Amino acid sequence: MDILNSLIGGIAVAVTPLNLALAVFGCFAGTLIGALPGLGPVNGVAILIPVAFAMKLEPSSALIMLSCIYYGCMYGGRISSIMLNIPGDEPAIMTTLDGYPMARRGQAAKALGISAVASFVGATVATLGLTFFAPLLAKAAIHFGPADYFALYVMAFATIGGVTGVNPFKTLLAAMIGLLLASVGLDPGTGTARFTFGSFHLYDGFDPIVAIVGLFAVSEIIMYFESHALSGAGPVKLGRTLPRLREVFEGFGASIRGALIGFVCGVLPGAGASLGAFVSYSTEKQLNDKNGTFGTGDPRGIAAPEAGNNAASGGALIPMLTLGVPGSGTTAVMLALLVSLNIQPGPLLFERQPELVWGLIAALYLANVVLLLLNIPMVGIFTRLLSLPQWFLMPVVVMVSFIGIYSISHSTFDLFVMISFGLLGYALRKFDISLVPVVLGLLLGADMENNLRRALSISGGDFNILLQSPIALAIYAFTALMLAFSFGIAMRRRGPRSAK
Amino acid sequence: MIDRIAGAVIFMVSVSAVWVARDYKAGFGDPLGPALFPQMVAAAAALLSLGLILRPDPNPDAQPLPAFIRQAFTLAVLVGYVLLLEPLGFPLSTMLGTACLALLFGAEPKKAGVTGVAVGVSLYLIFDNLLGLPLPLAPATFG
Repeated sequence: MDILNSLIGGIAVAVTPLNLALAVFGCFAGTLIGALPGLGPVNGVAILIPVAFAMKLEPSSALIMLSCIYYGCMYGGRISSIMLNIPGDEPAIMTTLDGYPMARRGQAAKALGISAVASFVGATVATLGLTFFAPLLAKAAIHFGPADYFALYVMAFATIGGVTGVNPFKTLLAAMIGLLLASVGLDPGTGTARFTFGSFHLYDGFDPIVAIVGLFAVSEIIMYFESHALSGAGPVKLGRTLPRLREVFEGFGASIRGALIGFVCGVLPGAGASLGAFVSYSTEKQLNDKNGTFGTGDPRGIAAPEAGNNAASGGALIPMLTLGVPGSGTTAVMLALLVSLNIQPGPLLFERQPELVWGLIAALYLANVVLLLLNIPMVGIFTRLLSLPQWFLMPVVVMVSFIGIYSISHSTFDLFVMISFGLLGYALRKFDISLVPVVLGLLLGADMENNLRRALSISGGDFNILLQSPIALAIYAFTALMLAFSFGIAMRRRGPRSAK
Repeated sequence: MIDRIAGAVIFMVSVSAVWVARDYKAGFGDPLGPALFPQMVAAAAALLSLGLILRPDPNPDAQPLPAFIRQAFTLAVLVGYVLLLEPLGFPLSTMLGTACLALLFGAEPKKAGVTGVAVGVSLYLIFDNLLGLPLPLAPATFG
């Protein structure tokens, strides 16, 4: 009953008045960030990391607040999917399929209620999974040596594109760009200044937070004029805010199935919440779409993807916390948070800082309850905030990002770096090159190189050490399989197009 | 076509990264040295960019001119804001920056002005006074 004891210790951390207040604030802010179109979880968490520093929070408190924001975003994304037919964030795309038709029929409150319960089921399943599987994985990962870690990083980069079918050349290239950017600055081993071009400002390398806010938030603002029409239709009428209790549990079975599928998708490398939602929806459709009601406002079509995306985002925390290898964009940002708090995620985290890990897990259980309350009785607040005009929201987002980045080092140099990363992010998006691998490369580059150098100094420069451990070999085999699969899909997709 | 250009640019950057890194010397007890890892990554990037040059995706849609003009102005406002932040102080530059951005995002001039003043003052109060984050207040010339 080790786990139970640890969890009780965690609850003691999570229910201190400050942490409780931060958790409630995080849930509210997260739901809002998730609900507002164009401001996804990656942006939201990235912008608020420096703000959390400015508040001089303890690491565990900062982690609790930002994780609640992360969970909140996953709940919030569905609100604009249902009300506006615009997904609030990427994983909520599947929820538009059945959510908006239901809202159009005047069942918006019911759709919001079902999806809130589904989100709760998904997130709770994932948090339970986190409680029981993460310590196991952490125990196994203690046996990993430098060569195994190097293999793990190779896998993270090779599989990040996953099975999404985006041009795998571009995904891999994005990872290489990130790794190359990570090597800018003083080399920790020898003190050699690499790619600094004589600028002292670059000796510390690029701060991942500055890069992330630039790549995601600033490029989003520049992209905005292309991707959104300047005017938008208002939200559908909500009508009655409180759905009937019986209605809310329609599609409960679909939620459970979606949650389990989503959780597995989340734990696997290279898959994130979006894939979790997608797989859950299509599985549910294949199982239960007997009358062709999916896509026209079937409650199960909302429950399955919502449970799936929430479960996947919780599941994605497992590899991030236990191995230090995030599998998705948002967990990459969470990793950036840990690194800037001077916390090294990985197997030892569970032994050395149990109050932090278990405080976080307990806070996630708590966040789920708070979020359910925020998202059923109080959902009206968020739907009203959806009609805030973009010309108000966007400038505020820009200014808060500027304040956050400025507060890191009080130098305008960082702000220029952020704008440059914004331009880079814009260019990469135009070329259809995914930004997540870039961030992952930037975050993990130093560790990947350190593990490689450590392995080679053990072997005295013999590269065979990389292939001697059975763990590493198994990881490479899995990586090769995944790569073959994603190149296979890409080639097949390309086939008919080039034949035209 | 646009993919080929991107591929060519990335190819040249990676090849020059390999070239620049050749001077980085290995230390004692570190057989790999500071040069090899960036060179490995850059070489891989160069190879992958060849893939982009040889098998490009179809071109994305070009954005309409009005969008492009707004984008250029937005960028100018962002850069201008950073340049003016320390000389003008936070409240004043934020008022200006917010108002300009609000205009670009389609606000009426009067509303943009009110938003600018409100956001500039309230963000300063929240972050400087409430959260204790020192921000430059007054124009540097007065200080």
